[in-house]
Formats: sequence, structure tokens, C-alpha cells
Amino acid sequence: MNLIIRVTLLFVFVSLIVFLIGGVISFRVMMREVNNEQRHFLNERLDRVTRMIERRKPEDTLRMNKLVIVPLNDLMNERKSFRDTLVIHTQLERLEPHLKLDAIKNVAGRSYQVVMYDVIIEPDDIRDGLEESLVKMYLILLGAVIVVGFIVSTYMLRPFNQTLQAIKKFSIKDQESKILFPKTGIAEFKRLNLFLEEMTEKVKSDYQSLKEFSENASHELQTPIAIIQGKLEVLLDLNKLDEDQVNQISSAQHTLNRLKNLSTSLSILTRIENKEFDKVLALDFSSEVEKMLGEFKELIELKSITLTTEIEPGISVEMDDVLCELLLTNLINNAIRHNWENGTIHISLTNDELEITNSGPDLEIDPEELFHRFKKSNQSSASLGLGLAIVQKICDLYACRLEYSQSDKQHSMKVGLNH
Amino acid sequence: MKLLLVEDQVELASSIQNYFLKEGDVCEYANSFSAASQKLHGYQYDILILDIMLPDGNGLELLEAVKQNWPQMGVIIISAKNALDDKLKGLDLGADDYLPKPFHLAELNARTKAVFRRRLQKGENSLSLNEIKINLDTHEVLVYDQLLDLTRKEFELLHYFLVNQRRLLTKQAIAEHLWGDYMDTADSFDFVYQHIKNLRKKIVKAGGNDYLETVYGVGYKIKSS
Repeated sequence: MNLIIRVTLLFVFVSLIVFLIGGVISFRVMMREVNNEQRHFLNERLDRVTRMIERRKPEDTLRMNKLVIVPLNDLMNERKSFRDTLVIHTQLERLEPHLKLDAIKNVAGRSYQVVMYDVIIEPDDIRDGLEESLVKMYLILLGAVIVVGFIVSTYMLRPFNQTLQAIKKFSIKDQESKILFPKTGIAEFKRLNLFLEEMTEKVKSDYQSLKEFSENASHELQTPIAIIQGKLEVLLDLNKLDEDQVNQISSAQHTLNRLKNLSTSLSILTRIENKEFDKVLALDFSSEVEKMLGEFKELIELKSITLTTEIEPGISVEMDDVLCELLLTNLINNAIRHNWENGTIHISLTNDELEITNSGPDLEIDPEELFHRFKKSNQSSASLGLGLAIVQKICDLYACRLEYSQSDKQHSMKVGLNH
Repeated sequence: MKLLLVEDQVELASSIQNYFLKEGDVCEYANSFSAASQKLHGYQYDILILDIMLPDGNGLELLEAVKQNWPQMGVIIISAKNALDDKLKGLDLGADDYLPKPFHLAELNARTKAVFRRRLQKGENSLSLNEIKINLDTHEVLVYDQLLDLTRKEFELLHYFLVNQRRLLTKQAIAEHLWGDYMDTADSFDFVYQHIKNLRKKIVKAGGNDYLETVYGVGYKIKSS
């Protein structure tokens, strides 16, 4: 839900509560004021009546409009009390609620009972009036809030929306263009834009240096490896080495080779991430698979693995040829490496997916981790644990589905094909 | 064969130089763009082994200059820059081969010899070891003039041995030469053994000598009898 709509709804809700409570308070205050005013009025009238009694000293009961004066025989204490009562209204000719003042006044040594009435302003009337005015005010407020919300969202939030649009276009890899944020006079948006500007520039430069580092690291490694490899070969060619020395050199070469593969694989991963393989070629995937199986034919035979295929001909994909080769090499290599002697590999290719199923021992790690770098089922194995990470990266790049499942010592790797 | 090696890493350069000198080739060495230009203008070379990344210039410019002024010279690019476009650019500019670092010296030797033969040895393109003779154009192998039926890999294997005579070739170097990047070297060692076994069998069956000697289980070399 839109921020403005949300704020507006909240405001409308809160003001409804405020209006309700305010209404009750107004009603009470008004009732109290009216009441006080009425008592005040009756008190003043009582004073006037007292002065009249002083002048006229009535002997008999005196009845006037809403006023009764009764001379009392006994002298009594002065008192005064208000009460509500119903009295016939002379003009309306019906019972109306009145306020009644019942007082005993002592004037010139004689007690008089004075009873006065005054018509009450009814609570119902006040409530009706209040309700009407409050509802009207509420409606006006509602209208105002909606208009203000509209103005805020279209005019005042415009720079914010423009900033959002600008961020949407942000690409971490685009080193040339800078994001242009709209000019705004609102301090908060100014700060936001300034912050975003600094942050995006920082992210870009960090990304750039990270990228350069990984490029350089894998590249700079190649030269020392080449030097060591050369030295070892020169050393091996000395004719006076004994078996132990040759074995030592050979084992150093093995390790060096691992290092070489490691740096190559990492560099491939980096280059995939950097989108350096960006050719879009229409490849005949079926024949690529067949070709690659040809390359691995000897290795498959060496391990006495039975290979069965179900490859639909003429399936084409659009991808970089190097990545296609990397994808297939790693998948097939994987199926051979983690297989048994006399095991099986089944490869099926349909228009939707490539599935490679191979026999092999159960996984020792969580299948979820299979595609992470340096994760391998058998930590001591000679593999680097980067092959499937490369496969994953390639699939990510082309937004292809990649699934692994195993059942009954059969491992299946599925790659969804997008056309 | 006269070589000019342009490489800024002294250590690597000395190993390469050492290797070629042992082969009986002349291998001169320049460690910078300017030194290389001077040498090129002063002397005549058959093959240029060129590192693209030089401290004072891009090796690709040197390649262009070579192709203009000395078109008969063979050029092999060695580069740590494992970038595909560099490889393509190099080959487009007329380099004969491209070898990414790190590489086996035996591999560089084999490729250099191949370029040398292709470019400069007119006439019969063949290698021989006593009774064994291989023709590099027709991919035929003759033992006492008897044609040997070898698979493609067996031919490449024999070729590699003949180019690197007197050298110890490790299983690893052989595997990389035969299968390049495809293979996991650990898996392919048995494989090398199989191919060597078959190659030996075929040569001996045709009446040839078994020249292949196993060295401490690490690799193979041609017997220096």
C-alpha cells in the first residue's frame, strides 16, 4: 500500500476517534456551562425576588409566571436546592423538563419559600446540534486530507520517485555513467540523494577494485607457476637424479598442477561473473553434447563405464560457445569422476532439459552445498570442488534451472534449457 | 633453429633458454620491448617467442612490426593473460600459435618445432628416430618402411616423444599435450600408460626397437642408446 494512502487512512482513523471523544467532551462541557448559566440566572432571579419580598412583604401565597412565593409561619433556616422536574410549558402546552429552584429565604424576620422554574435546554437538542456540526467538520477534514495527500504524492514526493527511477537504472558494472539524481529543495531528499550518490560511487569503486583484484590475483599467479614449472622441468632433465629425487620433483609438479587448475578455475568463475563470455550464438546443442562425449570417450572406456544416450537431434540453444563447452565438460567430467568402475552414465537431451544420470557412491555432504565453491563429497579427493560451482554460475547467467537428485546410488543432474 | 625469446620474467626466461640450448638451438633473450626491437633489427631469427605483457610496451605491437618487416619469422605468443580476445587478436595479427602460461617446456618445444617446420623447412616434413620415421603431413608412421596403424592419440604421443628426444616427459606433460584442458590429469595417468603400452606393442610388432623407457614411474623418455 502506498505510503500516502497509508498515512491518510491512519490520519482519518485517528481523527475519527478524536472527533468521537471530542464530541463527548464538547457535549459535557456545553451541558455543564448551560447548567451553570441556568443556575446563575435562577440565583439572580432569587435575589430580585428577595428584594421584591422586602418591599412588598406578601402575606399570602404569590403565584406568578414560573414563580411561587409562600410565606411560612415558622422561622426556618435558609436553604437552597436545585432539582429537575417536568412542568407544563405554557406556550407549547406540554410537559417540558425544567430546572426547579426551591429556596427558603428569611426576609425581615419571616421565612418565605420561593420556588422558581426555568425551562431546560434539552441534552437531545445539544447533542443533535453537536453531531451535525461534527459530522460536517469531519467531512470537510476528510476532503482536505485527500486533497493534501494528492498534492503531497504528486508534487512533494516527485523528487523521491525520480530518485527511485534513477536507482532502478543503476548497474554496478557500468563504470562510465553516473547516476543523476533530481535537484530538490527538501532537506530529507537532498540528504537521501547525497547519500545514494556517495554509496553508489563507493559500491562501484569497491566492485571495480574487487574485480581487478580477482583478475590480477589469478593472472599474477600464472607467471610464478610458470616459473616454478619451468624450473622443475629443467631439474627433472638432469640425468644424475635418483628415484627419490625424481619422485619428490614429480610430486611437487602434481601439487603445482593443482594450483594451476585452481587459479584457472577461479579465473573462469570471475570471468563468468564479469560477463566476459557474452557471445550469443545459436548452437546445435545436440551435436555439442555428442562432440563432447567424443572427447570423453576414452576416459569413459578406461573406467569401463557403460554410456547410454537419448539425444534428440537438432536442439538449439543460444549461448556463448566457451560457456557451452565449460558447462558440458564439467558436467560430464563430474559424472565420470564420481562414478564407479563398471558404472553407468545415462545422458538424455530433450527440448526442455539435459539430464545426466550416473551411478556412484552416496553423497557425504548436503546436496544443497554441492554447488558451492570448494564443496566436495569427499574432501580428500583430487577434485577441486569448483566444477559444479562453474556449472551453477553458467546456469545463473542464462537463468537456467539446475537440479540435483539422487536415489538408489543414482545421481541425476538436470539443466533446464531456455529457448 | 635460432630463437628470440621476449619475456620480462628473468627466471622463466632462463628456464626456457636453458631448455632450448640443451636442444641445440640458439636462443637469445630480450627482457623488454625496446631490447627486443634492437635485437630484431640487428639479427636474423627463425622464431620469435613473445610474451604480450611487457613492462615498456604491448607485445602485440611488436607482433605487428614483425609481421610487416620480417614476414617469414614464426611467432608464438606466450601469455599469462588467459583472455580469449588476446588469443584471437594475436592469431589474427599473424601469430602462429598461442600458449597460455603456465605451460610445460616440452610443450613449448614441441610447438616451436612444429612452427619452425611448417614455416621454414621446405620439402619433406618428417621426423625420425633410427628405424622409426613419421611424416607430419600425412600422419604416417613407418618402421623399417612398414606402415604402422596408429590411432590419432598414439601418433601425437609418438610425435611428442620424437620432438622431445633425450627428455624426460612426465605423465602430466603427456596428458596435457594429448588432452589439453578436458581432462583431469589425475584420472588420465592410467590412460597415458595404456596409450604408451599400445604404442610400444605396435612398434615392437612391426620389428622396431622399444625405445620408450619408464623413469621411476614418473614419466617416460626415449632411451639414449
